[in-house]
Amino acid sequence: MNPASSPALHPISWVAWLAVAISAITITRNPLYLLLILLALALVAEIERPAGRTRPIDPILFAAFAVTISGLFNAVSVHYGDTVMLRLPASWPLLGGPITLEALAYGMTNGLALGALIAAFAAFGSALPVGALLRLVPRAFYPLAVVVAIAVTYVPLTIRQARQVREAQQLRGHQMRSWRDGLPLLLPLLIGGLERALQLAEALAARGFAAARPPERLRLLLAGGLASAFAGVLLRVAWGQDLVGAALILLGAAMTLAVLYVAGRRTPRTHYRIYRWGRYDALALGGAGLALAALLLPWPARQSLFYVTYPTLRAPPFDPLLATALLGLLAPLLVRLRPRVNAKSKITKGSQ
Amino acid sequence: MISIDRLSYSYPDHEDRCLDEVSLSIPAGSFTLIIGPSGSGKSTLLRCINGLVPHFSGGEIAGTVRVLGHDPIALGPRVMSRHVGMVFQSPEAQFVLDRVEDEIAFALEHAGLPREEMRLRVEEVLDLLDLARLRDRELHTLSGGERQRVAIASALALRPAVLALDEPTSQLDPQSAEEVLQALVRLNGDLGLTIVLVEHRVERVLPFADQVIALDDIGGAISGPPRAVLSQVTDSPPVVMVGRAYGWEPLPLSVKEARRFASAVAPTPRPAPPVAPPRSDPAYLEVVGLEAGYGSAPVLTDISLTIWPGEIAVLMGRNGVGKSTLLRCIVGLLRPRRGSVRIAGRSALGRPVAAISREMACLPQESDSLLFADSVADELRSTLHNHGQAEHGQVAELLGQLGMSAMAERYPRDLSVGERQRVALGAITVTRPGGLLLDEPTRGLDYAAKAGLAALLRQWRNAGAAILLVTHDVEFVATVADRVLVLGRGGLVAQGTPQAVLSSSPLFAPQVARLFPGSGWLTAEDALAGRAA
Repeated sequence: MNPASSPALHPISWVAWLAVAISAITITRNPLYLLLILLALALVAEIERPAGRTRPIDPILFAAFAVTISGLFNAVSVHYGDTVMLRLPASWPLLGGPITLEALAYGMTNGLALGALIAAFAAFGSALPVGALLRLVPRAFYPLAVVVAIAVTYVPLTIRQARQVREAQQLRGHQMRSWRDGLPLLLPLLIGGLERALQLAEALAARGFAAARPPERLRLLLAGGLASAFAGVLLRVAWGQDLVGAALILLGAAMTLAVLYVAGRRTPRTHYRIYRWGRYDALALGGAGLALAALLLPWPARQSLFYVTYPTLRAPPFDPLLATALLGLLAPLLVRLRPRVNAKSKITKGSQ
Repeated sequence: MISIDRLSYSYPDHEDRCLDEVSLSIPAGSFTLIIGPSGSGKSTLLRCINGLVPHFSGGEIAGTVRVLGHDPIALGPRVMSRHVGMVFQSPEAQFVLDRVEDEIAFALEHAGLPREEMRLRVEEVLDLLDLARLRDRELHTLSGGERQRVAIASALALRPAVLALDEPTSQLDPQSAEEVLQALVRLNGDLGLTIVLVEHRVERVLPFADQVIALDDIGGAISGPPRAVLSQVTDSPPVVMVGRAYGWEPLPLSVKEARRFASAVAPTPRPAPPVAPPRSDPAYLEVVGLEAGYGSAPVLTDISLTIWPGEIAVLMGRNGVGKSTLLRCIVGLLRPRRGSVRIAGRSALGRPVAAISREMACLPQESDSLLFADSVADELRSTLHNHGQAEHGQVAELLGQLGMSAMAERYPRDLSVGERQRVALGAITVTRPGGLLLDEPTRGLDYAAKAGLAALLRQWRNAGAAILLVTHDVEFVATVADRVLVLGRGGLVAQGTPQAVLSSSPLFAPQVARLFPGSGWLTAEDALAGRAA
C-alpha cells in the first residue's frame, strides 16, 4: 500500500493532461475557446493549490496583464487590417501607420493564449509535488533531476529573500536611480544564494548523497554512441549517404540509450511511493482525450478553432459541442468527488 | 563511542589552528553540549565527527577521530552518514524536496532501502518528532521550529547512532527553539540516542546535558561533566555566575537546582526606582491609535506608544502579536490602516522610507540583507551616498564607537555574526538619526557579542538616542532596558520599569528574578552587588 498522502492521480496522467492543455492552447486562436480554456485551467490551478501555499502568480491577473500589453504592442507594431482606429504619422519609425482594430484583437488573443499557458503550468505545479516530478526522470539522469528539484524548491525561498533584501536596502535610503543602484539589491541576493548553496551541498554530503560516477567503459560507450549519431547526421546532410547515415544514427541512438539504461540500473535507488493507475486516472485521461479528439479529429465544428482577426474583424464562431469537449480538461477535479477515507484507516488496510 | 585524540585542524589559507591538539571522548547515549565564543571552532569540531572536515572543507588535519570504531577522516561523510546524522543552523538550507514526507524519505531512497523498510522508518520518525499531522504539508508553509524538526527527522530516518546538531535553534524564536530542544531531550532520554549539540542558549540546555565541551579562542578545549566545566568558563548563564560568586556547591545549573541555596540568602532588596513623573519634553516617537494588517487579517488594533530621547524601551510579546508589523509601520514599509505615527514632531505617514530612515534607523531581523560592499567602511559610505550626504569624518568616528576601526577594510561577510551585525548597525546609523529600532538583535549572538551590543546601546542612549528594541531575550532585556512594554492582542497590556514588569511575570522573568523573588534583582550583576551590600 502506498503512503496515504500520495497524489490521487498518477504523475503521468498529469503530464498527459498538461500536453493536451498546451496543444489546445497552441492549436486554437479563437478568443472564446481560449478564454474558456484559461478559466478552466485557472480553476484547476486554484483547486489543486496545496493548503497554505500562496499563488506564485495569479493566472487570471497575469492573463489580464498579457492581454493588455500584447494587444497594445501588436496594435502599434502591425499596421494591417481593415478597421482603422487612428493613424500615427508615417515618419515615426516602426510605430507610424494605421492602428487597426484587427491588430489589437490579434495581439489580445495572443496575450490570452500566454495567460492560459501560465495557468496550465500553475495547475501542473500545484498538483504535483517535486518528489513526483523527480520520479518521472529516468534513473540515469537522477543527479541532474535532483539539481532541478532543488531549484524548484528554492523558488519560494529566493522570492522571500529578495523581498527582505529590498526592504533592508530601503531602510538605508536606497533608491533606484541608475543601473548601478541595482547592485545593493542583487549582490546580497546572489551572495546569500551562494551561501545557501554551499550549506545545502554540505547538508547533502552529510546525508550521504553523492552522484555516482559511471565507470570509464560506460562513458566511452556513451561518447561513441553520440559520435556515431553525429557522424550519421553529417553523412546524410553533407554527403547525401542517406542509408549509411540512417544506420549510423540508429546505432548511435541505441548505444546511447543502452548506456543510459545500464548506468541507471547501477544506481541502487528505491522508491518510497509507487504510483498505480486508478479509475480517476481513467477519468482524467478520458477528459483530456475527449478534448484532444475534438481538437484533432476532422469534424465540422473543428473549423471554429481556426479564427483569424485579419483582414476584417468579425465575431468569432462558437460551437457549444466543441466547447463542452474542451471542458474535459476539468476532469482531474473529479478526484475531489471521491469519498473521503481518513489516512489512518488507509494505512491499517495497507499493513494487513 | 566517540574518541578524539590530539586533533589539530586549520582551514585552507589560514595559518592559525582552529583546533589545537584537542583530546576528548563522548560516551554512548550522552547529551553533550559544545560551547564557546563565536569562531572558536565549535562547528568545526562537530564536522570532524562525520568527516565533513576535512572532506568538504579541505585544510590540514592531524590526530585521530574514532566514531563507533570508524575513522571519519579516512571514510568521509558518505560512509559516515550511516552512523552520524547532522542538522544545521538554517532549516531551509538543508531541504531538497518540497513536502515533509518526501523530504524524510529522500535520503532513504538514495540509500536504496526496500520500500517496506522505508515506510516503517518514515512512520517512526514522524511519530518520534510529532510530525504526523504535518506529513502532507509543504515545507515552506511550516514554522521555523517545525521545519527544524523535519530536518531532525530526515537525519534520524537513516537510524544513526549519533545526532550532531550545529546551533539548530539560533535562527528560531524562543517558542520554536523550545520545541526543538524538547524533541532532542526526548530522543536522548527515550531512545538513548547520542546527541552532540552546539548551542548558544546554554541556559536552556544545561539542565539536560551530561557533558560539556568548552572551546576557547586559541583552539583549546576542556570537557567533562557540566559542573566541572562551567566552573572554569567565564561566559555562562546568570544562574551559574551567581552560584559561582556565592560559592554554592555543587554548582547549580538551573534555577530549580539553585533555589535551595537561594532560600538561605536574604537578599537586600534593590530599591525600586522612583516612579518617573510623566515627561513633559517632546517625545521622539509617538504612535497613536495604530491599526495595521496584511490582506484582510488585522494584526495590530489600536496601538499607542511613546518613546522619548535618551531611553531604551523594549517591546515584548508572544509570536505573531504584531511586534515586527509595528516596526514596519513606523519606518513606512507598511501603510497602517488607521492611526498616526510622528517622528521628531513630524508625521511619518506617507513619507518615503529613505526620508524616515534618516530620522529613525531600523535594524531588520535578517541584518545580513544589508551587506553588499567590499569593505566595512564602504558599507557605511554607501548609506551616506544613498542619502546624498558628504563624508566628513562620520565613518571613522562611528567605526570607532562600534569598536571596528581595525576592521574598516575587511570584507563584511567574512566577519563573525556579532561583527556583521555591528557593520549593519553602522550602515543604518551613519546618518546620525535621533532614533533607532532593532528587531530581534540578539538572535544567534554569543554572550560576549550580546554584552558588546548592550554597551553600545547604552552609550547611544546616554548620548540622547531614542531606542526601541523588539526581542524575546529576557536576559538581554534585564541588562539593557529602561522601560518595558508588553504587547498583547489588541494593544499594550503592560508597561513600566523592567523591575515592575519583568520580576513578577511568570513568562518574562529572567533567571535571577526567579531565583530571588521579591528582591527586585534582575541580572547577575544585581545579585553580586546585593551580596556586597
